[in-house]
Amino acid sequence: MKQTKGKMGIREFAAILFLLIGTKITDDTPTYLYSGAKNAAWISMLLISMALIIPTILLLKVLSVHKGKNLHEINLYLFGKVIGNMVSFTLLILGLLTIVMDSSVYVDIIGTMYFTKTPTIAIFAVLMCVSAYGAKKGVEHIGSVAWLVFFYTKVTLIVALFFTFKEGNSKLLFPILGPGVGGIVKTAAQKLSIFGDFFYAGLIAPFVATFKDFRRGMFLTYLILTVELTVALMLFVMLFDFTSVEILNYPFHETIRYIQIGFLTNVETLFFPFWLVATFIRFSFYIYLFVLLLGGIFKIREFEYLIPLVTVIFILLGIAPETPLITISENRDMTLQVLSPLLFVLPCVMWIIAKIRGDFKNESSV
Amino acid sequence: MFKRLKNIAGRRKDKARLSKKDTLASQKREKNKSVQSSVTDNLNLFKQIYKIPENMDVKIREFTLGKSGRKAAILFISSIIDSKRLEESIIKPLLQCQDDDAKISEIIFNPILTPVTEIKKVIVHLNLGNAAIFLDGDHTAYMVDCAKFESRAIEQPQNEAVIKGPKEAFTEKVVVNLSLIRKRIKNEKLIVEATVVSERSKNEVLILYIRNLADEKMVANIKSRLENLSVDAVQNLSLLEQYIEERRYSLFPSVLYTERPDRAVSFLEDGNIVLLMDNSPDCMVLPATFWSYFHSPEDHYLRFAFGNFSRIIRIVALFITLFTSAIYVAVTTYHAEMIPADLLLAIAGTRERVPFPAFFEILIMEIAFELIREAGLRVPNPMGPTIGIVGALILGQAAVEANIISPIVIIVVALSGLSSFAISDVSLNFAIRIVRFGFIFSASLFGIYGMTALFITGLFYMVSIKSFGVPYLAPMSPHYVSSGDTIFRKVVTSEVFRPGYLKPADLKKKGDGSTK
Repeated sequence: MKQTKGKMGIREFAAILFLLIGTKITDDTPTYLYSGAKNAAWISMLLISMALIIPTILLLKVLSVHKGKNLHEINLYLFGKVIGNMVSFTLLILGLLTIVMDSSVYVDIIGTMYFTKTPTIAIFAVLMCVSAYGAKKGVEHIGSVAWLVFFYTKVTLIVALFFTFKEGNSKLLFPILGPGVGGIVKTAAQKLSIFGDFFYAGLIAPFVATFKDFRRGMFLTYLILTVELTVALMLFVMLFDFTSVEILNYPFHETIRYIQIGFLTNVETLFFPFWLVATFIRFSFYIYLFVLLLGGIFKIREFEYLIPLVTVIFILLGIAPETPLITISENRDMTLQVLSPLLFVLPCVMWIIAKIRGDFKNESSV
Repeated sequence: MFKRLKNIAGRRKDKARLSKKDTLASQKREKNKSVQSSVTDNLNLFKQIYKIPENMDVKIREFTLGKSGRKAAILFISSIIDSKRLEESIIKPLLQCQDDDAKISEIIFNPILTPVTEIKKVIVHLNLGNAAIFLDGDHTAYMVDCAKFESRAIEQPQNEAVIKGPKEAFTEKVVVNLSLIRKRIKNEKLIVEATVVSERSKNEVLILYIRNLADEKMVANIKSRLENLSVDAVQNLSLLEQYIEERRYSLFPSVLYTERPDRAVSFLEDGNIVLLMDNSPDCMVLPATFWSYFHSPEDHYLRFAFGNFSRIIRIVALFITLFTSAIYVAVTTYHAEMIPADLLLAIAGTRERVPFPAFFEILIMEIAFELIREAGLRVPNPMGPTIGIVGALILGQAAVEANIISPIVIIVVALSGLSSFAISDVSLNFAIRIVRFGFIFSASLFGIYGMTALFITGLFYMVSIKSFGVPYLAPMSPHYVSSGDTIFRKVVTSEVFRPGYLKPADLKKKGDGSTK
């Protein structure tokens, strides 16, 4: 019951994770899955979820014996100062790439789907400034806002998916294995990093009121997000068929353009604000994580003051590529593939080292 | 050269200031004496302090006591005492007394009699409307309570009217307000503490809380904030709010006003703190959350379904006020495709002859509406309706006919203006109306994207601000144990918790309403 200062409860934490990973279905992530696994992308998604359950459990195990420490501090503890910092630095660079590319993708979505005449830099600046403002407020306030808007964003998503289901044709899901088991597994293995945010969530473990809340929040969101992403991937195929869904860059936005609700023929602007809200929260959280890790590595205690600087860098990097759609999608594909094995292996390595060091011995007494 | 000139000028200024006798410091110096044994000496001192006889309502009544002819005097401020009571219970028994050895407390009928020896305290009592009795050969002044400050009678609430529920409102007299609250809480743990907050006018603030409910840290925090105030005069609670609030530039209010004693009491019973002050026909509730501005006391007096129905209407009104005008601007400027084709043609048809962009059109009308509203408030009573008719009907009609405004804009602005009246709290009402302009600007710049950006910025701001340590949107976000009284309310028997964000000493309310 008691709310300790600067900490968030399970609701806020779960809401952040939901919005963080839930929005992935609305950007170009599905395209990467569809291009490999065709109409069986949803099976790949299930496989990803199943495969990552082991590292996630291991990660939670490691975190559970180091309560009050965040991922970076545990890295330092387990790998020693030099290697620990290098591991964290790698994570930081990958985080930087993710933020820069994701933000360009989102700006591209807004620019190409809704505001075709608005200059990219203006859209970019607004997105990043608002997110930076949110990040400056700190993680517990990001959590609060996420929890406030959580239901509305989810309800609108469910409504959109429901109407997609009404329009869709379930026969398009067959043949159920799509390109064959090999293709599905390969895609899943390459795109493991879709759930990578769960790993990064370890950075804010100390901000959650109790570790029990953290673990429960992780499992709950893990389960529901798996269902959500799988169902959405199935529905997109049902609506567009795999040949066209592969070409579509942003299937969610095409979907809400496609569906009709009663007498309203163009409903995308109804869903757009809710999607935007989730987007803002997502980037607020990303920026916060980034400066948190940056502050951790370079021992900057007042890391919140880095936010304006970091934001400017993000904007400059984000608008640098001239044809974002092509450049970004290639780079993003590559990052996803680099990140995937890392996210699988790293928690396992952390667990093994913790085991060797004997961190788990006191566990029973705790 | 300049320095020297300045020095001379400065010195002169200083000298002038010093030569003035009547400063706050000298006022204080005079008071640090004690009551003399001679009535004449005492009276001379008080004549000097109160500037009698120039000060026309400070009166002295001199007389002799008993057979021995002992000199005595009564000093009082005639405008703030009850002269009949003074005559009946004080002067009459004193004059009629024949016994030389009788003590004052045996002669006077008045229930409250305070012997005081310091001049400082005598003055405090006199200014509160008490009369001072001086006796020859006695080092004490006897203060008798016979204060009577003029004020209104208890009337119906003006701003928070309800159909179902009590219809008493606070008045400008703090004693009356206190009795209205005591009438509702018959609990010895209801504490009323008084603090003087201003240096010159000695305005007094009463702090009310229920001892075994309210969080003691919060009480201490508020008390220290009041005590550390350094001002000359604070007339009433509306001004006090601006002294003790944390964010003076913020759009969102952080304390709640209510003119309803029943509402104040329900907050007290939840563990909040209530401030009362003379000259304020309302009370101040601390801390306040966003929801308390949104609620109306009637929500709870009405049955579950009806109360929640009015809450739905109110939240819809709030969003209409905030967003309709902005959505109109955004949709007509950026998202025309979302309007059904027939309606789009209709809008286009009416806008055909209007020379302004949608944003400008809306802005003109919104400003016009605010003008009518402000003017309607300040206009003398008999002329009020005329202004309304001229402003709203004729102006609107003529503007449409002159092709300055399209009729749809009138609908949009009238809707948003009308809805704003559903938010009864003055502070929140202002906040919403100002923020609405922000949304219109952002909609004209970036359409729905801009509006969402502003909205989320606002949300980030609102969750981060605190009212006396309580998050603004609690208990919704961040989540706290409470009765869940936010947008909707529960059935009364399910409202078993006090709001957890207040950290009340006793979280659970006794009894869930079921029979024992």
